[in-house]
Amino acid sequence: MERNSEAARELFHEHGAAVYRFAAVLVRHHQDAEDVVQETFLKLLRHLEMGRDTSNVRGWLFTVAAHAARDRQRRRRRWLPWRPAHDRQVAPAALPDEDGRLKSARDALHRLPERDRLLLILRAQGLSYRDIAAAAAINPASVGRLLARAVDRWAAARKDGHAYDLLERQSHPGAR
Amino acid sequence: MHMTCLNDSHIQALVDGEADGAARAHAAGCARCQARVRERQQLMLALAESVNVPALMPAPLTNRVEAILRVNEDAQPGAGAGRATGATRLRSGHSDGLADPAASGAWRQAGHAQGRRWVYGGVGVAAATLIAVLVVIPATRKRDATLSAAEILAKSASRLSLAVTGGVELLEYELVLSGVPREMMPDGADGTYHVKQAIDHTVRGRFRFASYGPDGAMLTSIAEDPQARRRVFAFTVDGQPYRFDVSLPAHDSGMSLPEMQRLHMEASIAMMQASGNQMVETIDGPHGKQYRIDVPRISGPGTSPVWDLTEARVLIDADDYRVTEFAVSGSFLKQSYSLSYKLISDSVLGSVPADTFGVPAQPGEIVIAGEGSAMPGHDVVVLSLRELTKLKQAR
Repeated sequence: MERNSEAARELFHEHGAAVYRFAAVLVRHHQDAEDVVQETFLKLLRHLEMGRDTSNVRGWLFTVAAHAARDRQRRRRRWLPWRPAHDRQVAPAALPDEDGRLKSARDALHRLPERDRLLLILRAQGLSYRDIAAAAAINPASVGRLLARAVDRWAAARKDGHAYDLLERQSHPGAR
Repeated sequence: MHMTCLNDSHIQALVDGEADGAARAHAAGCARCQARVRERQQLMLALAESVNVPALMPAPLTNRVEAILRVNEDAQPGAGAGRATGATRLRSGHSDGLADPAASGAWRQAGHAQGRRWVYGGVGVAAATLIAVLVVIPATRKRDATLSAAEILAKSASRLSLAVTGGVELLEYELVLSGVPREMMPDGADGTYHVKQAIDHTVRGRFRFASYGPDGAMLTSIAEDPQARRRVFAFTVDGQPYRFDVSLPAHDSGMSLPEMQRLHMEASIAMMQASGNQMVETIDGPHGKQYRIDVPRISGPGTSPVWDLTEARVLIDADDYRVTEFAVSGSFLKQSYSLSYKLISDSVLGSVPADTFGVPAQPGEIVIAGEGSAMPGHDVVVLSLRELTKLKQAR
């Protein structure tokens, strides 16, 4: 037991920050991102206790975190939103962004459909196609195609967000 | 594009290091595809730059997760010993693998299959929480709590328990229901309601509750007057409005809907107090200072708990400790529910127009009258069956 707990803590030190970053970008909500991290590492501990496969812990962690984030987002959609002034969004990166390039890139990301956003964020974390397929619950053979399409959509949204929104609404009336 | 050139998926795979040998071989000899690869590489770099923000993990989160992993170190395999115990506790939403969202969905479907729609919106859960108030809360109050948040919650709970001594209280709020209470609502709305409620603090148990859809149309209304011994319950099913006008039994000392609602809120706040892990912050709201209190999920496996809160948050006016926003989700007797409430207005008036406690007639409504009981849902079923029997016998 102690060994599992120690292993879980070590993995938390190694991957915790990456999982937090991933969750923060995905759910964009301070407390939800924290909850995703907590839930992910609790599940990791249980995974270790049950002696399950640990050959690809990083991929496993992101899969669990992606599912936890999706659950949070769905649950949050069912709740009345707080007034914007009360919501604690994750603080934007403390990076020089004089020309607003990063902001526009992130805004474009959040214009995308949920699955596109998830695929892009997982890929940006360096996950393999196999791990992305597991985390996003899609066919591994489709990852390249879906990812390519997501990148194209992101690029279009970054170039002209309003035009992108208009096109998306016309293509998928009633969506989002 | 040349006929033999790579498609976008191949280009993407090349950039991601996932391309097969044939695609790599083609790209090595095709200037056009190489240019596309470079272009996409730039895009992926820009993406990584915007996504991989240097967000440091907050220290409290690090401490919390480490503490949880240590607590679990002392636990027995699979049994969950060493974790939070007791019938009532805050716990991680799905972290134990037992409270699977798919499972709760299956439960809801099963609920539908069994025809679990009960026609007294939200009262079932409120009644159930009453049990929790009486049975569960006394046990949880003993637990340690973070002082500052607990104090605020205690003051707010005290305010809730103080009945207004007279006049008519008019409440207007938004309500979002899902899970069990949503399924209990007789209307076809999506679970989002605008509610207007009148509570007579001079005549115990006299109230009117009306919910409205986004288009302003009335969905459900119930009015009860113990003095006049009358209850009117109106709702619409499949576009057909119904009105149940029943006489109430004498000496009905049951709880009214507003009393149950207040108790539910009080009980939830008491559970938040009991969690001992609240997060409180002060907010400058549009009408002055407010306290926002969240209860972060804490770990603990499900071992048939009576009542679990998976999330709870409350916004309290710092001047009078009035709850202005409130949201909880969890499960009661393993039936998941969530409730979110946002106060729009709250006032107490000395006198109100005569129709404040009336339920307006709906065009084309079917009126069913009879003797009622303390249980409106029961009345609806019994009176409907009686009408059905009469019709069948008349044929």
